[in-house]
Amino acid sequence: MTGSGRLRKVILRVLRVLALAIAISAVLIPLAYLVLNSLKLQREMYTIPPIIIPSRITFEHFQAAFDNPRTVRFLTNSLIVTSVTTGITVVVSTLAAYGLARLGLRARYLSLIVFIFLFIRFYPRITTVIPYFLVMREFGLLDTVWAIIIGHLGITIPFVTWLMLIVFQDLPREVEEAAMVDGANPLQRFWRVALPMAAPGVASAAILTAFLSWNEFLIASSVAKRQAQVMSIAVAGFVTDRGVQWGPMAAMAVIMIVPMILFALFVQRYLIRGITLGAVKG
Amino acid sequence: MANAYQPARKRRRLGHDWPWMAAFVLPALLIVVVVQLYPLLFSVYLAGQDWTLTSSQTSEGFVGLENFVKVLQNDVFRRAVRNSVIITGSAVLIEMFLGTTLAYLAAGTSWSMRIVRTILIMPLVIAPVAAGTLWRMMLNSQMGLTNYLLSFAGIQGPDWLGNAGWAPVAVIIVDVWIATPFVFLVISAGLTGIPYELHESAALDGATRWQSFLRIDLPLLAPLLLLTLMFRMLESLLSLDSIYTLTLGGPGYATFTMTYYIYTLGLRSFQLGRAAAASWLFMAFAASALAFVFWLQRRWQTAQ
Repeated sequence: MTGSGRLRKVILRVLRVLALAIAISAVLIPLAYLVLNSLKLQREMYTIPPIIIPSRITFEHFQAAFDNPRTVRFLTNSLIVTSVTTGITVVVSTLAAYGLARLGLRARYLSLIVFIFLFIRFYPRITTVIPYFLVMREFGLLDTVWAIIIGHLGITIPFVTWLMLIVFQDLPREVEEAAMVDGANPLQRFWRVALPMAAPGVASAAILTAFLSWNEFLIASSVAKRQAQVMSIAVAGFVTDRGVQWGPMAAMAVIMIVPMILFALFVQRYLIRGITLGAVKG
Repeated sequence: MANAYQPARKRRRLGHDWPWMAAFVLPALLIVVVVQLYPLLFSVYLAGQDWTLTSSQTSEGFVGLENFVKVLQNDVFRRAVRNSVIITGSAVLIEMFLGTTLAYLAAGTSWSMRIVRTILIMPLVIAPVAAGTLWRMMLNSQMGLTNYLLSFAGIQGPDWLGNAGWAPVAVIIVDVWIATPFVFLVISAGLTGIPYELHESAALDGATRWQSFLRIDLPLLAPLLLLTLMFRMLESLLSLDSIYTLTLGGPGYATFTMTYYIYTLGLRSFQLGRAAAASWLFMAFAASALAFVFWLQRRWQTAQ
C-alpha cells in the first residue's frame, strides 16, 4: 500500500509539472516566435519549410519603423491618449467614488448606480460607437486624439468609479469621523484622510486604466483614421496591406507589447489586485 | 425598529454635507451621460432611420422597423449569430476548464509557483490586436510555426486561416490564449480564500481529493465561477480586435461574428440605420445570454 501510494504520488507530481510546462510553453513560444520574426532577415522569412531561428539577427525592421515619422507619431499619440485618459479617469473617478460612498444614499439606490456603471462596462460597445462617431463628427473632433480620449473616458470612468467604490466602502470610517470632528471639510477629508488610505487601490485603478487605454482598438479605429492613429490601429493596419510584410508587422507588434509586458512585471502586484478586486469582491 | 432607525442615523452622521459629495460625483456623471447615455439614445433613433452616410449627409427619413426586418433577413447576419454562438460558446467553456485546472496546478506560495503564475498571466496585458497578429503568423499554413511543429509529430496541419471550417477554430484558439489567464487569475484568487482547515478535516474523514473538490471547493467557488463565466461570455461576444487582425472576418464570412458584422456595416459601409438596428438585436442577444447565467445561478442556489 505504501509502495504503490508513493508511486502514485510521484506520477501525479510528474503529471503536474508536465501540465504546467505545456501551459508555460503555450504562452512563451508564440511570444518568442513573434520576437524572432521581428529580428529575422527578409529572405529567411518566407521559406518552406520555415526557418524558425534566424541565422543572423537584424534590427532593420525596427530601424525602418523608427525612421518612419508615422511610427513616431503613432507612439506619441498612444502615449498622449494613455496618459491623459489615465490622469483624468483617476481624478474624476476617485472623487466620484468617494462622493457616492459618503453621500449617505440608501443601499437600494447605491446598488442601482453600481449596476448601471457595471452595465456600461459590459454592454455591447459597438452600439454606442456608431452614434459616438456621429457626435464627434458633429463636434469636428474626428481624427483628433481628443475623440479617442473622450471615448476611452466613457468606458474607464464608470469602471474605475465602481472599483474605487468597493475600496472606499471597505475603509474604516472612524478616522474620517475624527477628522470631521476636528472641522475638516469634505475635500480635506478626502485628500488628507481617505485618499492616503485608498492609495494602493488608486494605483491598481490607474494601472488597469493605462492598459485598457493603450490596448483599445474599437473606439480608436472608429474615430481616428489618419492623423490621430494610435499603436493599435498601426498594428491592425498591416492586415489590409497588399502582400505579406511579416518583418515590419512583427516589429510593430513588439514595439506595442514589449513595453507593456515589462511595465506589467514591475507593477504586477497592483495589476493583479485590480483585476481580482473587481471579480472577487464585486 | 432598530434596523429602520440605523440607516437614518448614519445618514445624518455622514450625509449632512451631501452637496459636497454630489459635486464630487458630478463630473463623472457628466461624462457618462455625454459619452454613454446620449449615444445610446441616439442609437435608438438611428435604428428607425434610413441613413447611409456614403449616399446622404442626413437621414432620409423614418422607416419604422424596416431596418430590423432587413437585418434579420440578411444571410450574413444569421451566419454571424451562428458564428458568435459557436465561437463564444466553445472558447468560454475551454477557458473556464483550463483556467480552473491551471489555478489548482499552479497553487502554492513557493517561488517557482510564483514565477509560473507570472508567466501564465502574461497574455492578459498583451493587446488583442497584437495577439491576433502574432497568431496570424503562428497559424500560417506554409510558413507558420504551428504546422511546422505538427510536422514533427507526422501531422499535416490544416490551412487554419484559409479554410472556412478551420478559421473559426483558429479564432477560438486565439480567444483561449488571450483569456484563459483571466479565469486562471480570478480562480487562483478565489482559491486562496478557501480555509485550509476545511480540506484538512475532510481528509481526516477519509475524503479523497476529488470528493473534497466537489463538496468543499465547488460550492464555495460557484458564485465566482458564474461571475467569471458572465464576464468572459460578454467580453468574448464583444471582441473585435483579435478577429480583425487574425482573419478579417474571412475566409468569406466564416469568422464574421456579430460584433464584426455590425462594425463593417456601420463603420466600413456606413449603413448607419441598419447597423444600429443590428446592434440592438445584438444587445438583446447579449442580455439573454446574461439572463441565462443568472438563471443558472438561481438554480444552483435553490439546489443547495
